[in-house]
Amino acid sequence: MTAASATVALLSAPGPTLADHLATHGPLPPGDAIAVAEEAGLTGRGGGGFPTAVKLRSVAGGRRAPVVVANGSEGEPASAKDAVLLSRAPHLVLDGIALVAGTLGAASAVLAADAARLPELAPHVAERRDRLPVRLHPVAAGYLAGEESALVAALNGRAPVPTSKFPPVRERGVDGRPTLVINVETLARLALLARGDSSAGDRALLTRRLERAGRLWVDVVDAPLSTPLAEWLPLDADVQAVLIGGYAGTWVPARTAARLSLDHSGLAAAGARLGAGVLAALPADRCGLRETARVVHFLAGESAGQCGPCLNGLPRIAAAMDLLARPAPPPPDLLPAVRRWCGLLPGRGACSHPDGTVRLVAGALGVFGPELDRHRAGTCTARVHRAFLPVPRRPR
Amino acid sequence: MTGAALWYLNRATGMVALVLMTLTIVLGTTVRRHGRLPGLPRFGVVHMHRNVALLSALLVAGHVVTAVVDSYVDIGATAAVLPFTAGYRPLAVGLGALAVDLALLVLVTSLLRDRLPRRLWAPVHLTSYALWPLAAVHGLTAASDLGGGWLLLLVLACAAATAWASLAALATRRAARPPSERARDAMAESVAAFAAGRPAGRYRNG
Ligand SMILES: Cc1cc2nc3c(=O)[nH]c(=O)nc-3n(C[C@H](O)[C@H](O)[C@H](O)COP(=O)(O)O)c2cc1C
Ligand code: SF4
Repeated sequence: MTAASATVALLSAPGPTLADHLATHGPLPPGDAIAVAEEAGLTGRGGGGFPTAVKLRSVAGGRRAPVVVANGSEGEPASAKDAVLLSRAPHLVLDGIALVAGTLGAASAVLAADAARLPELAPHVAERRDRLPVRLHPVAAGYLAGEESALVAALNGRAPVPTSKFPPVRERGVDGRPTLVINVETLARLALLARGDSSAGDRALLTRRLERAGRLWVDVVDAPLSTPLAEWLPLDADVQAVLIGGYAGTWVPARTAARLSLDHSGLAAAGARLGAGVLAALPADRCGLRETARVVHFLAGESAGQCGPCLNGLPRIAAAMDLLARPAPPPPDLLPAVRRWCGLLPGRGACSHPDGTVRLVAGALGVFGPELDRHRAGTCTARVHRAFLPVPRRPR
Repeated sequence: MTGAALWYLNRATGMVALVLMTLTIVLGTTVRRHGRLPGLPRFGVVHMHRNVALLSALLVAGHVVTAVVDSYVDIGATAAVLPFTAGYRPLAVGLGALAVDLALLVLVTSLLRDRLPRRLWAPVHLTSYALWPLAAVHGLTAASDLGGGWLLLLVLACAAATAWASLAALATRRAARPPSERARDAMAESVAAFAAGRPAGRYRNG
């Protein structure tokens, strides 16, 4: 994946080594992670956007010392920010772990990332003199492996699938201890905030995906949330819609996207959230329904097949999306049926995977309404049949 | 209370408890197989399983208390929970005591289910399959008469129901595919169904 990016804040060190890191950012001053997160109003960057201070407090002060799990799984195929962060600035993440582990008096600390990334990370971890050594953990492949209860299950030696939320991992997680699962970008932001860089909490790593003159461009940027979305994506006539957040995210028409700013309330105006920081600009020569159908197929296939709603709902919706994505009249009652199924799923699974998938589908049916009409009449917008959104083909 | 009343009460509670236990097992295996009962949503079956189980526990408690209070037979409070220590038909009463112990274990772990790891709860819950035969053999051997055979018939009917339910649960379990494969199967079947214009089926998640 191409990873050219603006060199700002989070990715500004010239190299990944400890020397580069110290020369750019200086040593980590002592500090209280909860106070730092609270003051900056920092929110999680793993997709949920939950206030980090609240989360830190929920595992602090328990009877048993907690475990800190830095989540670098990045199961989201359209996202590359965590991989870029770990390869460009691993010591910011490790500083974040040290800071949080210190504040919480943690019993152990784990950094979970793709197995292919670990050999590159090991020397960086070995170079440090932290109070608590950080253990590297290879994450299983798959969209769900990064979900916090799935990650904790894997760390406890069980299958990497989401588990019941009672008790939550913040109460009983790795080795039965209270466990903080926190995204690597969230940790890196804590490390900058602790150094007095007060703007670090008001920025986000974005994975941008766009096509210019038929050529794919993917990169990761560290963008201030106060900036307009249009500053980061060209929203001209060659772009028809923007997928915001990732595969559990929302489609927004390009014209609407041009009016949005990246901060929470700005995106909320269009019913969107930054989620995992994905911004994908769908080229005008593609069919949004076909792109969505492919992604929904992938998401339905990734389901752990444990919960009824996921097992009965997602495959059905995916199969229906196939029919809606074809330039031919669909069965007459299919569209209302899909809308009904979408309403039935949220909140019914052990994890929010069905909720995210339904959000994507419901958004697509709205934004690509004109495309639905075109398909009914037997035509389609697509001029180019190359896939735009990435869907991993995984031998299983 | 007169001895005769206690005796009748003891017999009745024991009998009804066995019938309710049978019903509990049938409902439990229905839950396990993700089955439904006419007119009930799926969670309704779960609630019914739990409520009938609690009711049968209540009857077992009544059964134990009447046996202990009844001075005609020599069963002390300890013999009711400590197997094979009763003065009256020690073997038969002992099986009953064993069943009571198991039932207590299953009851307590189920009430604490949300606080226990599933790996502890699940195997303990499976012991309820052993509970039923213990209770049934206890009933047949401890009873002083079988009501001219109709009681025996009732127990046999219950046994048939329990055996059928257990076998059905076992068959479902053996037919179950690993979750990840289930998801893939559901996907393939749904696509095929929609392509052929058929409605998609229902898939079991266990
Ligand atoms: C289906 C699903 C997949 C997820 N995948 C990831 C992931 O790959 N990486 C990640 O950091 N968080 C992922 N999450 C979110 C985590 O469960 C968890 O909330 C997050 O790591 C917490 O970090 P944060 O508070 O810093 O955002 C996923 C959640 C769901 C429901
Ligand atoms: S909701 Fe779906 S993905 Fe989540 S645990 Fe249940 S079956 Fe798995």
